[in-house]
Amino acid sequence: MKRIAITFALMLPVVVLLLLTSASPCLAQIDHNIKPVNGSAEAKVGGLTGHAAGEQQGGIMLYRRFCVGCHGPAGDGTGENAQWIDPKPRDFTLAVFKCRSTPTGTLPTDDDLFNAVTRGFDTTNMPSWRPLTDQQRANLVAAVKSFSPRWQNEKPGTPITIPAETPINIESVLRGRALFQKMECWKCHGPAGHGDGPSASTLTDSKDNPIRPYNFSTGTRFKCGTTNQDLYRIFMTGLDGTPMPSFNDVLKPEDAWDLVHFLRTLQPLTTQEASLWKAYETAHRSEIKPIGPDNGAGGSK
Amino acid sequence: MLGGIRTAVDAATVLLGWTFRSRTKNKISESRIGFAPNEIGGRMVTVAPKKVNARRWSLLSGALMFACLVVAIVLGDTPAAYTLPIHKVVAIPAFARKYGLPCSACHTAWPKLNNFGMTFRDNGYQLMNDRDSPIYQNPSYFPITMRITPNWHLEHNTNQAVDTTPGNGATAGSSNVTTHGFDLSGIDLWTAGTLYNNISFSLLPSSDENASFHFENAFVRFDNLKGSSWFNFKFGKFELNNLISEKRFLFLSANGGSYQSYHFVPPGDTNDFGMGDNQIGVELMGHSKNDYTRYSVAVLSANDGNVDFLSAFGTPSGRTYDTYLTFDQAFDLGSFGIQRVGGYAYIGERPTYYQTGGGTPLYGIGNKPFYRVGFTGDLNFGKLNIMPFYMHGHDNVFLGNGVPSNMASSLPAGAQGPAWNAGFVEFGYYQSPQLVIIGRYELVRMQAQANSANPSNLGNIDAYAVGFRWYPIMFSRAGLALHTEYAITKNIGIAPLSGTGSASVNPNDPTVWSSSFMVGFDFDF
Amino acid sequence: MKTKFFVTLAAVVLAGSAMLVAAGPPAGNGTITGKVTYTGTPPKMKPIDMTKEPSCAKQHATPVTTENVMTGPGNTLEDVVVFISAGDAGPAEPSGAARYDQKGCQYLPHVLPMQVGQQLQIYNDDQTSHNIHPLAKTNQEWNKSQPAGSPPIDTKYEKPEFIPVKCNIHPWMHGYFVVLSTGHYSVTGQDGAFSLKGLPAGKYTVTAWQEQYGTQTQDVTLGAGESKAITFSFKALPY
Repeated sequence: MKRIAITFALMLPVVVLLLLTSASPCLAQIDHNIKPVNGSAEAKVGGLTGHAAGEQQGGIMLYRRFCVGCHGPAGDGTGENAQWIDPKPRDFTLAVFKCRSTPTGTLPTDDDLFNAVTRGFDTTNMPSWRPLTDQQRANLVAAVKSFSPRWQNEKPGTPITIPAETPINIESVLRGRALFQKMECWKCHGPAGHGDGPSASTLTDSKDNPIRPYNFSTGTRFKCGTTNQDLYRIFMTGLDGTPMPSFNDVLKPEDAWDLVHFLRTLQPLTTQEASLWKAYETAHRSEIKPIGPDNGAGGSK
Repeated sequence: MLGGIRTAVDAATVLLGWTFRSRTKNKISESRIGFAPNEIGGRMVTVAPKKVNARRWSLLSGALMFACLVVAIVLGDTPAAYTLPIHKVVAIPAFARKYGLPCSACHTAWPKLNNFGMTFRDNGYQLMNDRDSPIYQNPSYFPITMRITPNWHLEHNTNQAVDTTPGNGATAGSSNVTTHGFDLSGIDLWTAGTLYNNISFSLLPSSDENASFHFENAFVRFDNLKGSSWFNFKFGKFELNNLISEKRFLFLSANGGSYQSYHFVPPGDTNDFGMGDNQIGVELMGHSKNDYTRYSVAVLSANDGNVDFLSAFGTPSGRTYDTYLTFDQAFDLGSFGIQRVGGYAYIGERPTYYQTGGGTPLYGIGNKPFYRVGFTGDLNFGKLNIMPFYMHGHDNVFLGNGVPSNMASSLPAGAQGPAWNAGFVEFGYYQSPQLVIIGRYELVRMQAQANSANPSNLGNIDAYAVGFRWYPIMFSRAGLALHTEYAITKNIGIAPLSGTGSASVNPNDPTVWSSSFMVGFDFDF
Repeated sequence: MKTKFFVTLAAVVLAGSAMLVAAGPPAGNGTITGKVTYTGTPPKMKPIDMTKEPSCAKQHATPVTTENVMTGPGNTLEDVVVFISAGDAGPAEPSGAARYDQKGCQYLPHVLPMQVGQQLQIYNDDQTSHNIHPLAKTNQEWNKSQPAGSPPIDTKYEKPEFIPVKCNIHPWMHGYFVVLSTGHYSVTGQDGAFSLKGLPAGKYTVTAWQEQYGTQTQDVTLGAGESKAITFSFKALPY
């Protein structure tokens, strides 16, 4: 009995070794060999320098722990779970990002990526990684940059200037409403911002996946932040990779702020703009032309 | 550096195995079993008498662990490690499936949580991404997971009652008992998640290895009350908010699979409380948004988490309520990671006799107090995680001597409330998200004996454990770990917490060395 | 006698070099012409429903059709870009900007070839907003709104690429920017004919690209001032 036990005990590691090295028709689902294009990428966020490399807590090691399940070992958004996720995880190899402070078509700054990782994206599977330390998140930004050669050849764009916000009053809201009509935002976002405009159902992102425009009436957090400045930045830089274009070339800054103030009235949040609009709407209901085709002759709201 | 650590760990393993062979010491023996039943979901307990040389088995255990460890380290990080012949399976661990994150995102090495996972749990199993409510899941998603560990293990205890002539009860003697074989653990069937946005739940029917079920936890939690992460209200049976969780640690063997500190009561004490046992009550808990600051206040029934108003011994419990307070704070130490320190205090009462009806006990009365206080830490230095823990425990003199509080004259001369200091240092070296080497040293030292006639070291415990876990697959569908562990405890005048043996029957030596060696496959889906 | 010969030779050589220097890079006047045809059955182009954009719908008496495979009589293929992909001196000085119009909710031309670094101007001639969204992968992908009455968008591309262009508001709008690193290109019309002019003598690779059927190449060797005719034939499938 003793001999049998000893023999077995010594056999176990051998058996395990054999199991592991035998050829198999089905390889395991996940490949943990992360394949960056540039393994020594770096990121500068505030006073911190993030590193993709590093055995201990380097960005690539952290990526393997936290990110590979969705974003994939090559950073191209084809992780093991990507097929069940909508919207799909970001493809870092293209270096096209939604939330930037830089103009459309240009690379985001390291701070933009840091904020995206910290904040996460509501209504998607991208969590807020705030529980990680600042240094860990800076390292992850470096890891994100390691997957595309564009970071080695191009510099990030120059962040757009966001001038001081204009005063919030009903005149600004009404001008913004006129812009919402004129710029034809309602064609995708719908006359009441419900995401049900005439073109909404045919929208596809740059990878030909169906995509819905933001539905203001849910009040969920914008993809790129919560403040009026964030909202300004969204439509003045566009959400690259999606149908949402940049209006930087066609809107003056004060017009942009008017539009921001109007957009707030479409959300069910307690904002100054919303209460101003409610008061105005009650008093002037018959004068308000609905938003929609034919310059408001038809449509609702 | 890895090579150096590897060599050191291997050497320590073999050395431990050889060194802690049985020994005898000259102390008067006195033993009364006084520990609460172990409620950890189904850890294995088997005893079958056999007589084998302790020293040889210790050495063999060490050598075997060394071999397995080498295999795991060599293969732990290479592509070959993942070519197991496993085909695509459909079922998946609940939360990973719901959100698409790999196990390693929330767990340093499952089941132990990292800071991100702890935040997820403290948020009420929610990522706070506006998609937490179950309405957003495919109707076929069911938030259930199951975990079991088939294993081979060996138990060895010294100074046990052994008949010198097998079969003849009159030839009682004291000797070592070793048993080994293949075995099962119990099974955990855990379902948890959200009932609705900001209403979470957990239900964990857990069985021992005989498929005898109990509820390890069952609670509803109202999360983020008033829209604030500082107010979360939990109701039901749940694990105490211990920073170092016994339910989530990486040890599974009979001697290694419990924290001595979390269950210790001195010999002769009639308290049934164990800090590692899940309790029933309510808890108000709060945390900062990034989970760096956490507090909890709990009010619990004085029945050690047992139902039907019964104590852990099956006797009626008292009608008092215990209080548990915790606080911990995390610090961002840059590239080292997050360091967390905390403190706790458990203050409670237990009955010392019963109100009876027709002679039958109805409920406990004569309640006398006890407390457990101390501090904890969860420190990280790159891949090395170190968890220190300290506890000071004190039970009332009537509890400590098992005397009803209305019979003070029955107390032995010089009786006092027993007090003890206990603590451990546990380390984990996470070589990769799929390989962790673990170890722990723990001790319990009596500071004041309940009965002054007791030797001062009665009830003292030293516990050592070392092992590793290797996860050949690590993705969001299921988990598998090869678990190897060696643990040995030295128990003076007290039965080992492992339950694999009894207190020493050797009149010349009150010490029982109890050791476990275990190799198993821990899997869950 | 010998001296005179050498002097004459030297003079001729000098004169010749001077001519060469003065003339700059070899201009040549060889041409490659030809036709692009198809075999098999091409798909039927479908009519586009523009009722969601009445201001565009009313500009077309009969609905316009999709344009991914445009054919002409005699099995010719339209909108095929034929260009020198190897053998020539690279991009030439572009003669002005390339112009892209959004008119009647269609891109005109459907396929716009241009050179790397050449100025590209995009006009919105409609009464509705368009967003211009070229889906570049090698170049930068950008997306800009262009309301009715806005000035033209001015831009350029630095790397050769076949860039699909779409408007998200009007999902039926499809077009292409074909960014080339050569000055010798030609887009076939309904007659399927192309011609590449001004080629000096040399070995060339000619590529023909059709948005649905991809590329085909042929090698052509031209002598000085020579004119050669080649044909490309794509295999058309009904889908």
